Amino acid sequence: MSLHWWHVAISYALVLGGFAALTGTAALRHAQARRVLARLETRKRA
Amino acid sequence: MSNAPSLAARPAASLHRFANPGRFLRLSGRLLPWLAASAGLVLAVGLPWALWFSPPDWQQGETVRIMYLHVPMAWLAMGGYAGLAVASAMALVWRHPLADLAARELSPVGAAVTALCLATGSLWGKPMWGTWWVWDARLTSVLVLFFLWLGHAALVRAFDDPERGARMGAILALVGALNLPVVKFSVEWWNTLHQPASLTRVNAPALHVDILYPLLTCAVGFTLAFAAVVLLRVRAAVMERRIRALQMAAARRAETDG
Amino acid sequence: MTRKRKRLYLLLLCGLGLGSATALVLTAFQDNLVFFRSPSDVMREAPGPQRAFRLGGLVEAGSLTRSTEAGRPLARFVVTDGAAKVPVAFGGVLPDLFREGQGVVTLGKLGPDGVFQASEVLARHDETYMPPDVADALKRSGHWNPSQGAAPPASSWNTLQPGRGGG
Repeated sequence: MSLHWWHVAISYALVLGGFAALTGTAALRHAQARRVLARLETRKRA
Repeated sequence: MSNAPSLAARPAASLHRFANPGRFLRLSGRLLPWLAASAGLVLAVGLPWALWFSPPDWQQGETVRIMYLHVPMAWLAMGGYAGLAVASAMALVWRHPLADLAARELSPVGAAVTALCLATGSLWGKPMWGTWWVWDARLTSVLVLFFLWLGHAALVRAFDDPERGARMGAILALVGALNLPVVKFSVEWWNTLHQPASLTRVNAPALHVDILYPLLTCAVGFTLAFAAVVLLRVRAAVMERRIRALQMAAARRAETDG
Repeated sequence: MTRKRKRLYLLLLCGLGLGSATALVLTAFQDNLVFFRSPSDVMREAPGPQRAFRLGGLVEAGSLTRSTEAGRPLARFVVTDGAAKVPVAFGGVLPDLFREGQGVVTLGKLGPDGVFQASEVLARHDETYMPPDVADALKRSGHWNPSQGAAPPASSWNTLQPGRGGG
């Protein structure tokens, strides 16, 4: 692989990795909040 | 939540319909799967197109493929900041309760795409220009944009009173919006190492269509992905605020009962 | 006037003030925001012999000579902006994109002999992007010579099909 392809490959890895990390952390946080909220609301209604 | 009926006749009344957290969660919950699916679909077409199926550039060779990432990241860094400024103005003027939350959740994502823009630009600049970084007007103003994103993200979280933090953040975001025209026009106002914009008029882009179409596809894909991530974060923040309110109410009940 | 309206006007007023302040500051610092000087700028007002500055422009067609001096590659070329020219000497490795007709930005000092002694050469590419076959077709048909200047307006070639060749 030539130097130029290395630069291209690192760029794609950075951007895809970055977006995967953003999506992953947001999804985890969203799922966590949804779980806690569901628990609290059932308890309140009970 | 202040969804007072007296606001009904005001210009922002239609926007205040979305201020109801229950309604926001319901509507955004319906929108989110479509947004995420279309982002995935468009990127699944755009990225292989950019990486393999598009031609190299006549003088930059294969390195031009970095453009398909760098340019969408730059557009998102600036467009996202324009969105932050709009949300901040809405928060300051109309006290829209969701605008504060949206601004708060937008800035870390904006900082991330601006960092990606700088990193891909550096990786592109080294083989093409012969340098990772220069202090020309375009590169410096984008670095300032990155610090504005970071500063906003830090500032809104720096106060014990979240409303005070949101107010400070909104002021910072609006003052920082002055940097946007500087970023955009830096390549025209001053001579820079960075080349001028290729897409100035819709009908006469300085890109061959074989390079233009994958670029536009990637830009649409990344924009959808950006919107999906921000929406996901705002939804999480709305639910977290509701959780805090419920926990506080429960604690107060326990106090009076005990 | 409602409070919302008042806040809106206040915000617009602040924006107006800040915007004009920024515009004034940027105009005042115009000269310092310039990344490089063109040959015309240097001809008009030559910086002192010991002052390092950046010189930018196009590499003049036919001006590039490469040699080796004391084991180091030495490149001599002329940087022009159409109106004025400055000869440049650079010992070192030129960037990949360096060619005649290409934009360059060089860092160095103007010697007493009028030759700019560069310690760094950066290539400056323009905003046109095209596949190699399209560029070849344009060159073959005589519509464009890359060492003479920028590509013709994109509207003349951006629907040109690679492979089929143009004109």
